Amino acid sequence: MKTQKPIELDFIVDRLTNSIQNTISGDSFETEVHRLRLIDLKQVTKKNGWNFNWKEELADNKKEVFKLTITNNSDIVQGLLSLSIESDHVYMHLLENAPFNIGNKKLYEGVAGNLVAHACKVSFQQGFDGFIAFTTKTKLIEHYQNKLGAYTLGGHRMIIPTEAAQVLVDKYFKS
Amino acid sequence: MGHIREPKGVDFFIKSEPLTENARKEISEFIREYKNKLALKSIPKKVHIKKSV
Repeated sequence: MKTQKPIELDFIVDRLTNSIQNTISGDSFETEVHRLRLIDLKQVTKKNGWNFNWKEELADNKKEVFKLTITNNSDIVQGLLSLSIESDHVYMHLLENAPFNIGNKKLYEGVAGNLVAHACKVSFQQGFDGFIAFTTKTKLIEHYQNKLGAYTLGGHRMIIPTEAAQVLVDKYFKS
Repeated sequence: MGHIREPKGVDFFIKSEPLTENARKEISEFIREYKNKLALKSIPKKVHIKKSV
């Protein structure tokens, strides 16, 4: 009996425009957001400098995991995002830049912004008016307020409401 | 189109605490209040026009 080849879904979710910038040349690059695949897990390990356990995230059925790549260079993961669809918002569980996009010698700027904008877009698509929530460290709260238009909701919990979400989506996505 | 620059010496990353039922309720409450406030703002104020005789 013939065994059927498993069908792998690999589709482009969204296209972003000029949204990450090479810190050396200053050139901007178009990016794409795809779902993370099993085959990508080899690349995004702690051994390769990634901080979070993305294998665990991908295995969790309640979560959706996305990768950001540069157009025509989809093998190199620039950053990762895991989120869940709640009843009235999107919750971001983890967001991480690739190891080469961290610190003073980071290669590309804007990876995290891209991924947050993607979460906002998913929220609009789900009919949640762009609302996304997450928790963060104290030292980053002010930056998220200033750069992303996020609100604090007691403790370290933050919410990005409709207007700020729309600004992010408009900034990053082709209409 | 632009991109959001991380401030110097700062790397954006998110490691959220697990979402508890309480946290879900708080977030939903915030969203409800936020939408209510917006709705109130968008209601046009009554304008009184004096009728000229």
